[in-house]
Amino acid sequence: MDMMDKLKILADAAKYDVACTSSGSNRAAKRGALGNAVACGICHSFTADGRCVSLLKVLLTNKCIYDCQYCGNRRSNDVPRAEFTPDEVAELTIRFYQRNYIEGLFLSSAIIQSPDYTMELLAATLRTVRETYHFNGYIHVKTIPGANPLLIRQAGLLADRVSVNIELPSRESLARLAPEKTRQNILAPMRAIRENIAQSKNELSLYRAARNEPKFAPAGQSTQLIVGATPESDSKIVTLAEGLYGKFKLKRVFYSAYIPAGDSRLPTVAPPLLREHRLYQADWLLRFYGYKSGELFSSEDENLSLDMDPKCHWAVNNLHLFPVEISTADYLTLLRVPGIGQISAQKIVAARRVGKLDFEDLRKMRVVLKRAKYFITCNGKAYDKFPLLPETIAPRLTDSSRIDNYTQLTLAQ
Amino acid sequence: MLITFDGTFDGFLSVVYAVYYEKLEPVSIQIDGTEQLSLADLRRIETDSEKSARVFNAVRTKISPEAALRVYYAFLSSAENRFLSILKYIQLGFSVGHMVDSRLHESFVRDVHDFYKNVGREAHLLHGFCRFAETQQGVFYCPVTPKNDVLVLLAEHFVERLMNQAWVIHDKRRKKAAIYDGKSYVVAEVPAGAEFSYADGELETQELWVQFFNALAITERKNKKLQRQLLPFHFRGNMTEFV
Repeated sequence: MDMMDKLKILADAAKYDVACTSSGSNRAAKRGALGNAVACGICHSFTADGRCVSLLKVLLTNKCIYDCQYCGNRRSNDVPRAEFTPDEVAELTIRFYQRNYIEGLFLSSAIIQSPDYTMELLAATLRTVRETYHFNGYIHVKTIPGANPLLIRQAGLLADRVSVNIELPSRESLARLAPEKTRQNILAPMRAIRENIAQSKNELSLYRAARNEPKFAPAGQSTQLIVGATPESDSKIVTLAEGLYGKFKLKRVFYSAYIPAGDSRLPTVAPPLLREHRLYQADWLLRFYGYKSGELFSSEDENLSLDMDPKCHWAVNNLHLFPVEISTADYLTLLRVPGIGQISAQKIVAARRVGKLDFEDLRKMRVVLKRAKYFITCNGKAYDKFPLLPETIAPRLTDSSRIDNYTQLTLAQ
Repeated sequence: MLITFDGTFDGFLSVVYAVYYEKLEPVSIQIDGTEQLSLADLRRIETDSEKSARVFNAVRTKISPEAALRVYYAFLSSAENRFLSILKYIQLGFSVGHMVDSRLHESFVRDVHDFYKNVGREAHLLHGFCRFAETQQGVFYCPVTPKNDVLVLLAEHFVERLMNQAWVIHDKRRKKAAIYDGKSYVVAEVPAGAEFSYADGELETQELWVQFFNALAITERKNKKLQRQLLPFHFRGNMTEFV
């Protein structure tokens, strides 16, 4: 089998892993080695479905001993199989990187023989890429659930980011659809990675870093879960994510709207992509806006509203906290105004120190007033005499035209 | 008064110097040879690297290092009114210091911030969208056609990233190139009609890339509008996977 066919099979098999980021790691360029990494991350291209391409995302092999029902690589699925050698992966990475096609490598694998055997292959491949081919760009490696912690440590010392996929949000769903994986098998490596990162960051390790000892996964760890294949509510998913950010110190949780795989135990209709989008919005509120998962859900509604983004939804349900006065409200209060994000809030805080701000000034500063205008006052003045009531505000915040754009084509009836 | 200068960053800072010390009040600042007919007095300012260094240093210390970066980026912008806006920004900065960046109600401060953002964004996008191809001579060649004059910003990025290979980044729009020999780079004019041929194996690598790129798209979720938003057409002319 030639390189072209292998690449087609193994890139195709890896594409459902949604993590594409190349951010969070600053890797200085070195004489004699190829590449560096910048903390902001760089997108190198965008596919026809609008996703960013920044890493050479491939599987080492798609020959799998497991039979997870949501996964295209399950052993009962009749698809062409292939595998790369470490040298092939390294050479491809270098050739693509020299031409600035990619920001680095994202290496994952199906499970061949055993989790330990697979993890060892992954670690060996990373070693080839880093040490034989002197590649100094970004590497994201997926660890295998159930693999030996020592092997995970080896891989983590060579990579910028490591991740373990949670895949399904609850123990019951995992047991039903991925019987060979257990919650324990997934959480154990996550915990081990967290410990390794913490250790690498402590004082002793900083001293080591000064002597060029490798850091363990400087860009942190991430995970992915599939939405809509199983009946878990948004509330459960967001709470799970909050726990992962808090307890496991994860950098990112990725959500992937499930695509029907043709198994009778799975739903035949895909969840709307809008649901995936809403989960990402809620995720951002957790990480950058200081929200708690409990604030985003009410007892009667376990799911995020599809009509309105979660921040607007929260504001409409908490109208007693509004309007907010632009000239005096603190930064965190400003952040809670729908339509005002970190950049706008920072601009307001800076600009109000040198003069009063009215709505016209805000508009000139590029603060988007479309939603914000209902929730703020400038020097005591409201935008217009509009009663701040849920039934009058809510219809103005829904964006029904947007929903149509998010319907998804499926092969299902 | 209409001021003209040679179009270099040093030249522009020399203009700032002259305006400050001679208390000039320009209504327009333009590059030599591109100035439009006007009834106003015409004044040509000579470039003086000593004066420009003093101005740049003053911007760094009396305003802020961030302001100096903004001034440089804004200068690289292709916006028509950039010179006058930057001049006013520096003038206000000399009187209020680093607080100039809070005065967002002044249109020229917003302008400078916008130009800075626009140039920075284009350079950032091109850090990803640049495509190099290996030539017979072993030099990696990358054509670009940026809207703003970001060639130096790109060169600074790739000097780090592709440290061990010789490369050329060719700004076809401005007919100049950054040429790197593995140690340092220079910016030079490029004569029309320069030709090269691909190294052995280059086309195969390009095919592999296109294969990989095409395999990545999830056909059930095709969204050309989003793709266009994130990767506008004007970048695609130089990108291997789109030509």
